[in-house]
Amino acid sequence: MTLDSKLETTIDKILTQTTTELLTTLEKTFDECKESLSKSSRSLEQEYDRILDEGKKESEKLEKQIIGSSELEARNKQLLLTAESVDKVFEKAIEKIQNIKKNENYPKLISTLIDESTKALGTQEIIVLTNSKDKDVVKSVISKFPKAELSSETITCIGGVEVRSKDGTMTFNNTIDSRLERLKPLIRKDIATKFGIGE
Amino acid sequence: MSKHGGVQYSKIAEIKGPLVIVDDVENAAFDELVEIQTKDGEKRLGKVLEVGNGKAIVQVFEGTTGLSVSGTKAKFVGKVMEMPVSEEVLGRVFDGLGRPKDGLPDPIADKFLDINGEPMNPEQREYPRDFIQTGVSVIDGMLTLVRGQKLPIFSGSGMSHNILAAQIARQAAVVGTSDEFAVVFAAIGVQYSEAEYFRRSLEESGALKRSVLFLNLADDPAIERIITPRVALTVAEYLAYDLGMHVLVILTDMTNYAEALREISAAREEVPGRKGYPGYLYTDLSTIYERAGRLRGKKGSVTQMPILSMPSDDITHPIPDLTGYITEGQIVLGRDLFRQGVYPPVNILMSLSRIMKDGIGEGRTRADHQEISNQNYDAYSRAQEVRALAGIVGKAGLTGVDLKYLGFGDEFEKNFLSQAIDENRTIEETLSLLWKAVSLLPKNELTKVKDKYIEQHYKER
Amino acid sequence: MAAKGRIVWVSGPAVKADGMADAKMYETVSVGDAKLIGEVIRLTGDVAFIQVYESTSGLKPGEPVVGTGNPLSVLLGPGIIGQIYDGIQRPLKDLSKVSGSFIGRGITTTPVDMKKKYKFTPSAKVGDTVEPGNIIGKVQETDLIDHSIMIPPDHPGGKITNIVKEGEYDLETELAITEKDGNKIPVKMYHRWPVRKPRPYQKRYDPTIPLLTGQRVIDTFFPLAKGGTGSIPGAFGTGKTVTLHQIAKWADSQVVVYIGCGERGNEMTEVLVEFPHLKDPRTGKPLMDRTVLVANTSNMPVAAREASIYTGVTIAEYYRDMGKDVVLVADSTSRWAEALREMSGRLEEMPAEEGYPSYLASRLAEFYERAGRVKAQGSPDRNGSVSLVGAVSPSGGDFTEPVTTHTMRFIKTFWALDAKLAYSRHYPSINWMNSYSGYLTDIAKWWSENVSDEWLSLRGEAYGILQREDTLKEIVRLLGPEALPDEEKLILEVARMIKIGILQQNSFDDVDTYCSPEKQFKLLKLLVQFYKNGQQALRDGTTLVDIRAMPIIGALLKARMEVKDNELAKLDQLGQTMIEQFKSVRGVTVTT
Repeated sequence: MTLDSKLETTIDKILTQTTTELLTTLEKTFDECKESLSKSSRSLEQEYDRILDEGKKESEKLEKQIIGSSELEARNKQLLLTAESVDKVFEKAIEKIQNIKKNENYPKLISTLIDESTKALGTQEIIVLTNSKDKDVVKSVISKFPKAELSSETITCIGGVEVRSKDGTMTFNNTIDSRLERLKPLIRKDIATKFGIGE
Repeated sequence: MSKHGGVQYSKIAEIKGPLVIVDDVENAAFDELVEIQTKDGEKRLGKVLEVGNGKAIVQVFEGTTGLSVSGTKAKFVGKVMEMPVSEEVLGRVFDGLGRPKDGLPDPIADKFLDINGEPMNPEQREYPRDFIQTGVSVIDGMLTLVRGQKLPIFSGSGMSHNILAAQIARQAAVVGTSDEFAVVFAAIGVQYSEAEYFRRSLEESGALKRSVLFLNLADDPAIERIITPRVALTVAEYLAYDLGMHVLVILTDMTNYAEALREISAAREEVPGRKGYPGYLYTDLSTIYERAGRLRGKKGSVTQMPILSMPSDDITHPIPDLTGYITEGQIVLGRDLFRQGVYPPVNILMSLSRIMKDGIGEGRTRADHQEISNQNYDAYSRAQEVRALAGIVGKAGLTGVDLKYLGFGDEFEKNFLSQAIDENRTIEETLSLLWKAVSLLPKNELTKVKDKYIEQHYKER
Repeated sequence: MAAKGRIVWVSGPAVKADGMADAKMYETVSVGDAKLIGEVIRLTGDVAFIQVYESTSGLKPGEPVVGTGNPLSVLLGPGIIGQIYDGIQRPLKDLSKVSGSFIGRGITTTPVDMKKKYKFTPSAKVGDTVEPGNIIGKVQETDLIDHSIMIPPDHPGGKITNIVKEGEYDLETELAITEKDGNKIPVKMYHRWPVRKPRPYQKRYDPTIPLLTGQRVIDTFFPLAKGGTGSIPGAFGTGKTVTLHQIAKWADSQVVVYIGCGERGNEMTEVLVEFPHLKDPRTGKPLMDRTVLVANTSNMPVAAREASIYTGVTIAEYYRDMGKDVVLVADSTSRWAEALREMSGRLEEMPAEEGYPSYLASRLAEFYERAGRVKAQGSPDRNGSVSLVGAVSPSGGDFTEPVTTHTMRFIKTFWALDAKLAYSRHYPSINWMNSYSGYLTDIAKWWSENVSDEWLSLRGEAYGILQREDTLKEIVRLLGPEALPDEEKLILEVARMIKIGILQQNSFDDVDTYCSPEKQFKLLKLLVQFYKNGQQALRDGTTLVDIRAMPIIGALLKARMEVKDNELAKLDQLGQTMIEQFKSVRGVTVTT
């Protein structure tokens, strides 16, 4: 082989090599480009999804909050209405009690109230207080309680009595008002169910 | 109780601290509710602590400030303190004694319940087994919460316990059920801002309508704090056992409760136990914590998460100490982690969930859960030892395995423990993070997991 | 004449009543209109100081107090096993029938079903002279318990004039009639016994038989003997309850009395849920068939908590008298001591340390003294034992507090739980440096006769390694592990292996939860062999790095979980493999 041909072969060789190399490099670059493209599109997609997701979460949160609050508000309005109507019923009832012509049972009731009070206080030595209207009724029954006396003081109430021990250390409020007050929570439930409210 | 409740007595013998001692009392029962009336007609509530020989010792919830011996009257109501309950307590805000604080009327009661409750018959308890997914990895993975459990958070002043509790309240769910659940929140002597954070957090997640809030704030009467957790739990029991709801009760901060108890004990001149707390602190706390649970034949459950700040971060202080003896584990927040900005800063080594074992495993979470959790505990504990050693001899003095443990410790704290405040992870995510962390260790270091699980989940990194 | 008085004062569980001149100390009384159960604990003039076993909420001065004439007693007879009682032997199941899910007040029940019929097989006959403790027949109480019917200890004895034939009888049936000095006394299936009075026996033995619990750190390192006393103190979270449950589950006794004294409700529920499904490894029968629970949880009335310990130990003594080995587990004696403290405070007694009454130590001593392995009263001859295990819950984990320190004076085995071990999830967290057992040499003979005569020496070697590690750890803490020569590093390595492979035990793992004495011995031997071979290998020039890299290590450490009790040959194979691997890391010499 001549030197030239040898040279040529070498050149050829180098050339082919370079071409192959070039080609591979090109291919590689192409691949890389492709990959980075797909990667970036993926991360773009992810980013997009993330933003969407967050927005969704945020809106869900808001939705929950709004629905929750409005439901609650509606419920609370209902509660207020219920309370109002219950109060009205109460007022009416009290009015009625006040206006009822005190029949012959009333002195009996007063007598029972005083009796209860002496038991609660554990003494017969008592002073009985009542409102101006009921004074006469109390007077009529107090003789049954020999150690009891009627106070000259009057109290404001619908009816019933307040009883104190003579030494002044104990008081038992047995007015109709206080009895109503004690029963109020139970009555409220009754009224509410009767009117179909608060269910 | 007494058929003749309602007598008012006006002979006040003594007023000391939160106590009023009434003389010449003929007709009062132990534990009876008392209405104290001041000279100006203001009414306060209290209860009988001791009665006999013509005397009644009354503890006044709203404090005795402004009371005088003359002119003060005490009415013995004839019943113990009761809380009116009905479904409409949901979405309501009450004060520390259970009275409306939201401008709305008293609830129309379905029932009136004794706020002290009654001890559950242990034979009637249903053993807690339902896994609650809180979405917080460290809890779900390492300190699993179970329905009916009492799992307190032991924290220190200024740490992120309320943020964590609020996150749990927002995210807690039992996977795969549509059972109704509710949150009862009792603020016991906490600042307005903390209570408000909680309220807002519930509101934002739409959970306010199934929540009940009891607020005794820092400037509210201290003795009222004796009552606050009890009214809260009474409502919780009603929601759980009468209405069949699953109730998460958060009580914060029990330290303030114990201090109120100490104040009363001191006023009664009782022989103090440790740090001046009464000898019956354990028993008293148990009457609160033991109200968590499930009952046979009832659908609902009461799960408690009491929060208490440990004075000077000292876990041996009587309050955390006695609490830990009653509760079914504890979540301890670590000052170091908190300082490093880790959230949630849970010191897992000091923390524990006692009934975790019964709420996890095959069919509940995953078969390998217990073992992988044990392995992480083991590795983290080793990592802590190595860290301490590295502090003395430097990294150069460590063996190759030791270095791997260091790496594990960092990975564990950074990727497993740390979590965003609104990040809700599934149990699968949590478990795979646990495996990911131990995969930093050589396979033969995994002595706590069976080979079959290693084959399934371990991917050496 | 039963005392009839009136309440004059109420404060929590403490009530004072006047008009009680006829009352006796420790008499049970009915308190108030609600008929709550109480016990007289002090008498001053005609004023009785009463501890009430139920909530006193709503009780008021003026209400009646009526004596029953009897001290607080338990009913002893068939039907006790499998029950869950409150502190004064009321069956909680029956309470729930009356008051539902929560515990009501003033409910009276019988501790066992008096109407239930048992098949009675007499072993005595008419004309026999009997003494207290004599067995006159048997009934089968559960699959696991044959229940001897004994002449009660307070019975005067005499000649049997009548005895029923074999057949089905309920508890109230008069099974036999005895006669002495013209007095005829019936014997039924049950009798009552006051809880504060130990039941009599003939004589006591030294405890020489180990109480096997299947827990390696206990059986191998800090054993308890049958009839012995042990205490397990630990801060919260150290796994006290789990360890106690393990003892209750796996101890080789015929009867287990588990007292939940001022502890969590769910723990009792756990026992109730779990025990019926667990099988006794020796008999294959459900564990509940040998277990009695006494539950007075922390939120139940504090006075009944005080009584629960006595209720439990009296039941234990009863089964001991039949010739059975009984284990009593009390969780926690600290809560019992707190109940004492609370009552003492209400009595305004002069407090001793930390407010506890000065008689705390003597009460603890009395309790632990009721343990023992004894020859029972009466014939036939039989030996039984009561082993007592008491948990202690020291405040702040401080072992110098009064309940722990006093308890240590009266017990012989001490399992010190360690918060640091628990924090690193080393369970059971029994600290091997602070724990001790006073029975080690007494029971060594049993191990020689039943397992291997090498046991005591191997245990000594293994313990020696742990002790040396403890001192070496100090050096490591200061200088790092690389400062030690290989021989000492080997000690650290083997100590680590003993800790993981033997001392640690996973009670929630099906295999590891119970470990037979043979398996314990083999595991111990394997690791001691490993140490000896390691030493030799180092002497032959092998490096520690090579030893550490031996694949057998992982297998040795997991053997406790991977090798079942019925395949112990696998452990021998492991031993073979270990020796081969040692051969390959060094030359020839092998120590077996």
